[in-house]
Amino acid sequence: YPLFQLGGPQLRIFRPNFFMLAVRPGVPQPEDTVQFRVSMEMTKVDIKNYLEKIYNVPVAAVRTRIQHGANNKRNHRNQREKKPDYKVAYVQLGQGQTFQFPNLFPEKEQDTETRSFEDFKNKYMEREKQRQKGDPRRDGVPDWFGL
Amino acid sequence: MAASRGRRLLWHGRCWFSQTESAVPPQPPDSLYPPIVASATAKSKAAKRRRLEHFRQRVHAAASIEEKLRLYGQLQRPKYMVYPQTFALNADRWYRSFTKTVFVPGLPPRAASAAAKAPGTVVPEAAKTPEGAAGVAPEAAKAPEPGTEAPGAAKTPEPAAGTAPYLDVGELRSLACDALLQESFYQNKKRPFLYRDQDHTPGPFLTQLVSTLAALLSGRNPLLAASSLDLKPEVNYYWHHGEEIVVHGHRKGRVDPVRFQIDDNPHLQIRVPKQLPEIVPLESDLGDVPIIEHKPSKLPLFKKQYENKVFIGSKVADPCCYGHTQFHLIPDKLKRERFVRAHLEDQIEVLYRANGIASLFAWTAAQAMYQGFWNEADVTRPFVSQAVVTDGKYFAFFCYQLNTLALTAETIQNNPRKNICWGTDSKPLYDVVEDGSVKGFNDEVLLQLVRFLLNRPKEV
Repeated sequence: YPLFQLGGPQLRIFRPNFFMLAVRPGVPQPEDTVQFRVSMEMTKVDIKNYLEKIYNVPVAAVRTRIQHGANNKRNHRNQREKKPDYKVAYVQLGQGQTFQFPNLFPEKEQDTETRSFEDFKNKYMEREKQRQKGDPRRDGVPDWFGL
Repeated sequence: MAASRGRRLLWHGRCWFSQTESAVPPQPPDSLYPPIVASATAKSKAAKRRRLEHFRQRVHAAASIEEKLRLYGQLQRPKYMVYPQTFALNADRWYRSFTKTVFVPGLPPRAASAAAKAPGTVVPEAAKTPEGAAGVAPEAAKAPEPGTEAPGAAKTPEPAAGTAPYLDVGELRSLACDALLQESFYQNKKRPFLYRDQDHTPGPFLTQLVSTLAALLSGRNPLLAASSLDLKPEVNYYWHHGEEIVVHGHRKGRVDPVRFQIDDNPHLQIRVPKQLPEIVPLESDLGDVPIIEHKPSKLPLFKKQYENKVFIGSKVADPCCYGHTQFHLIPDKLKRERFVRAHLEDQIEVLYRANGIASLFAWTAAQAMYQGFWNEADVTRPFVSQAVVTDGKYFAFFCYQLNTLALTAETIQNNPRKNICWGTDSKPLYDVVEDGSVKGFNDEVLLQLVRFLLNRPKEV
């Protein structure tokens, strides 16, 4: 690139590894707070600009912290296995917007066909078990010996 | 270790048996055996209850107020530090839930009837008594009478002062403009250091304005004449509200009260020897208190462990033990321009409201504790104080009535009382100062300030 002078056009392109991953909060957060896992090099200002310019999300406040990944587990060679560190950002949305993390795995509705098939299966298994059991008068002892 | 250190001291000491026992089942007077009560040192809920009861009895039976405060804040544990001037979003809603306060926009009707009075008395600037009497009488007939000390306040200075019963608006305006110009125009000051703008001009202006206004109005308000003006005092209050389960540490899993501490430094404070009159009766219900289920740390609010202090600005023995008015100055970090640049215009009013609510709650509650009330012995009369929150140009007025101190998890259950805070939006006192004159001076704000300073109980 040509040498940059103050006031001149910004011809350089920077490509930092900035990513943001919306996660479900482990503890309940207020309605206007969204929790993200972000790249370790991002600052609060970077996060605010990222959301406002790329996704048009109004941001009122950002707070960040770095979560230390545990280093206690050991593998089969008794070496410690480090879980990676990551940065967590709590973003408070502006203009009174709220956000609730969606339920990604809802309970599936059981339709009538499968239900009746499962009942049939259960009844069959019960019958088989009863047949396998021995005579209750002899306490389940098999009758191929004795009188 | 279930017992707290402060309560445990007694169980190890010699004087254990001499303390009064509580919750003793009735025994016939000729019984040979000692009363049967739960153990006091066991790791059981009954023992915990007995220790709590013993602690409460000790505080009730404390010999002096200092001893009571010492016992109340003896046990130190991590607590949330509540800052009245905060950048947190929607802080006033959280603070209202911590202090069980109802916020009513606008000032109470008693101050509004004084507003109806003051223009009637203020407009005839020349001191003409017969005109004034005629002007005052229809105003008194119009304004609602019950509990209003404003007609009394307007009438009693008349026979008492005699010569100048009216407030001269021109005089007050010139006083305010003089103070403003002196600080910002006439006095040669160097450029303020970085982030010290508020201490450079608005701080001294506020001090000058309040001290001269108080001196001027002490002639017609004898309470001000007996008052004490504090410069940069300290106001602290410590209280419990709600319960939580301890998350980590050696006390993990136990149910603990949520502890809060306010450490506030108002710019100016006026303390008086007599209590301001109540605005509404003790049991009145003027709105709802917001209930927030989330932990206070989501506000964000942080925990620290240090001294549990309860202080109104002077020690217990001081005769001026009731509060009249506080004046708060908004720091540089929380100026209007910063909010506007961050597109958070609605949070400006939130800042003023949160400051008013938190500071006044701490002050009135500390005053109540100085009179011997605490969360087990709730207040029997309401404690009233006023505050003005300003950043030099914009003024917001607040009025607080403390009806209840019982905010702990046990005492809040059967307590229908709520604390009430009245407050206005921030209004500018002037538009701009240029070329040795003040442009766009707003008389309303100055008159409201004067009304605040003239506020006093009926019998004075």
